[in-house]
Amino acid sequence: MTTLLSFRNATKEFRGVPAIKDINFDLHEGEIHAIVGENGAGKSTLTKVLAGVYQLTRGEMFLDGKPLVMKTPGEARHRGIAMVFQETNLVPSMTVAQNIYLGEEEMFNRLRGLYIKAQRFLLSLNFYVEPEALVSSLGAAKKQMVEIARAVHHQARIIIFDEPTASLTPEEKFHFFNLVRRLRKDGVTIIFISHALEEALALSDRITVLRDGEVVATDETKNFDRNKIIDAMVGRSLSDELYANAGERRPRPYGEMALSVQNLSKGRIVRNNSFSIYSGQVTGLFGLVGAGRTETMKIVAGVDKRDFFHGGVVKYNGERVRYRTPEQAVRSGIVYVTEDRKSEGFFETMSIAENIHMGELGRKSNPLTVVSRSEAKALAKEWIKRLDVKAIDPDARIIELSGGNQQKVVIAKAAIQKPKLIIFDEPTRGVDVGAIVEIHRFIEELADAGIAVVVISSYLPEILALSDRVLVVRQGRVVEEMTIDNASEAKIMFAAVH
Amino acid sequence: MTSGMRLSQEGIVAALAALLFVGFSLTLSNFLTVNNLISLVRSVSILGILGIGMGLVIISRGIDLAMVATMVVASSWVLSMVQSGTPLGWALLFGMGFAILVGAATGILVAYALVPAIFTTLAMGLIVYGTGRAYLFQVDVQNAPSNYPWFSFLGTGNVLGIPMPIIAVGFLALVMWVLLRYTRFGRFVYATGDNILAARIVGIPVRLLIVAQFILTSLIAYAAGIIMSSAVSSMSTRIYNSTMIYDVLLVVVLGGISLSGGRGGVRNVLVGTLLVGVLLNGMTILDIPYTEQNLIKSVILLFALIIDSFINPRDEQTAQQQQGDI
Repeated sequence: MTTLLSFRNATKEFRGVPAIKDINFDLHEGEIHAIVGENGAGKSTLTKVLAGVYQLTRGEMFLDGKPLVMKTPGEARHRGIAMVFQETNLVPSMTVAQNIYLGEEEMFNRLRGLYIKAQRFLLSLNFYVEPEALVSSLGAAKKQMVEIARAVHHQARIIIFDEPTASLTPEEKFHFFNLVRRLRKDGVTIIFISHALEEALALSDRITVLRDGEVVATDETKNFDRNKIIDAMVGRSLSDELYANAGERRPRPYGEMALSVQNLSKGRIVRNNSFSIYSGQVTGLFGLVGAGRTETMKIVAGVDKRDFFHGGVVKYNGERVRYRTPEQAVRSGIVYVTEDRKSEGFFETMSIAENIHMGELGRKSNPLTVVSRSEAKALAKEWIKRLDVKAIDPDARIIELSGGNQQKVVIAKAAIQKPKLIIFDEPTRGVDVGAIVEIHRFIEELADAGIAVVVISSYLPEILALSDRVLVVRQGRVVEEMTIDNASEAKIMFAAVH
Repeated sequence: MTSGMRLSQEGIVAALAALLFVGFSLTLSNFLTVNNLISLVRSVSILGILGIGMGLVIISRGIDLAMVATMVVASSWVLSMVQSGTPLGWALLFGMGFAILVGAATGILVAYALVPAIFTTLAMGLIVYGTGRAYLFQVDVQNAPSNYPWFSFLGTGNVLGIPMPIIAVGFLALVMWVLLRYTRFGRFVYATGDNILAARIVGIPVRLLIVAQFILTSLIAYAAGIIMSSAVSSMSTRIYNSTMIYDVLLVVVLGGISLSGGRGGVRNVLVGTLLVGVLLNGMTILDIPYTEQNLIKSVILLFALIIDSFINPRDEQTAQQQQGDI
């Protein structure tokens, strides 16, 4: 086996925070190499460096033994490195053939010639896709085929697949696997990123496990099994100060059943999801990205709509509800704290006080009520103190704050609405360590006060540190439920991957 | 940072207006005459009223290009009804109903059918104008009734020496200022303009709010039309084909209301109105041909837009977003 590509001490930092650090990684020619790891373990960063999207902060890459420096994705493509993203990069309004030959159009483009050429090419790959079909009319698997065909056409030597099977049906997966094996036979080297451990085990020649930006294990697939991979994925030091007491906590008792969801469905993202949420405790919702956690809770909070037919039943305090807007949910006490505070969390032109006060305003109905500025400021001050927002002045603009303090403001804006059920979606994403502690403390306070709290998180230690009860979501439904005293990282992760 | 900048933008515009005013007074002999100042005030007041309405929708990241059409058609219809014998009170009520209808239709299209406001109102303007010319009245100039002294008073009278149109602007500005600054409705308008997704999640009925805004703007346009027809004793539908809607945009953007939404207020409109008013009047006295005036105005509008997109970019934090992309 010759080494085609290697990383030596590769580090990529974002604003001083390493996403991957000191990575040493070898890719052998003609192998299928699976990279696995939790969300945020650095898989995407690693592959994006390889695809020329990011540049390394430190360290080196070698291709064919020669140092490799790439500044743009175009350069990577030029050197035969192609990436097939989860969401495909095709032009939906063009045909398959036009997409494959995109960028190579001649001055006078003959479509018929193009179609014949594409047909021959696709058949040579054993891809049964109609070259004249519009890409928008294709299913996920066929789109992927087109993308792969494009990569092969560009004479890719290395093809990187980022979560290729996430949107495929079992049958499509089967075809996809055959396809990947066929590519290997033709001498293409493949990097395969997946959450699905079975797939990695079934398909790959070698597996590399990433955790917290570092390579923790890399070996031939035959030396791995499912448990060994899971251990490597989660084997972080539990002595990690922040989450020190995780695992030895006693759960809070169950309160009233606040929310009961039955057979909730939305397209292919949420499928027949059923579960319950209780007052006075924190329910952790764990799952890998794309499992449908956010979508489920957004439906509950009226932000998204479920399927009109067979969408399932949501009962809030025993009554069937179907919120069409968040307004209705907020009025009845269900509040959602977004995972994306910038695009749907705060108002960037407004001050801290105005942002917090907007929560209070949104809770009530009469639009002509007079707003007292001094009252707003007093209220905001109180909450700034309660959540310990580090700001000199409540009139400072929110975009001048750090991520952690912005998040606190967004949380204050939600908590001021006097929720009976509050949903935190990734409450500590992009938040500094100090703020994490304070946000966690506040979430616990809410649960102690008898509110039903839901925490969606992709970070296992956070789930373990906060929840009284853990629901594990996989492929659009809750598949496992456990109380915190009999939960463990390995157990949760086992339920979350398939 | 930006609050200081915004203040200074207003300040600069106000200073420019004052400078132009002084400049014109000194250089143009017939600028500082009673007749001219009255005509200045009249043209400025209509622009001001329309600007306040336009400002409202622009703050919530919308735009209403149908304002001039609504103004012209609704008030022409009122005048034509009065000419054919309808009592003025009833006619005014019908006109108001028409304006509400136009605003509601626009708002529903924007909020529920999700058609961008700029295209909706562009089409709506043509529809309103077409409806007016085809079904509501025949000739393109309607004369105001002379047998209603209170109607003439709206545009030509004065109270304590202040012309009525100015009082109308002042009153409207005051109402809008209170509405925007001190009511929940106003806060919602800013929130929607700033971040409509966040506004929705926080429990603001954003769709109803958008409809309400377009109705209000439409009503304001109607009011401008009534005052205008009273002031000049007639209403000409040809105004729709003039550059008036661009003057209104110029007033709003130049004053410092950002097209990116959520920023600015009534003060900005007033300042913008002053500058544009003085400029237009001065250019007319200087006898600059109409086409060249339009050229000058459009160049200023373009510059104001460029400056706006520099100091109020749509996305201040794009750079930080990269961080979450691990």
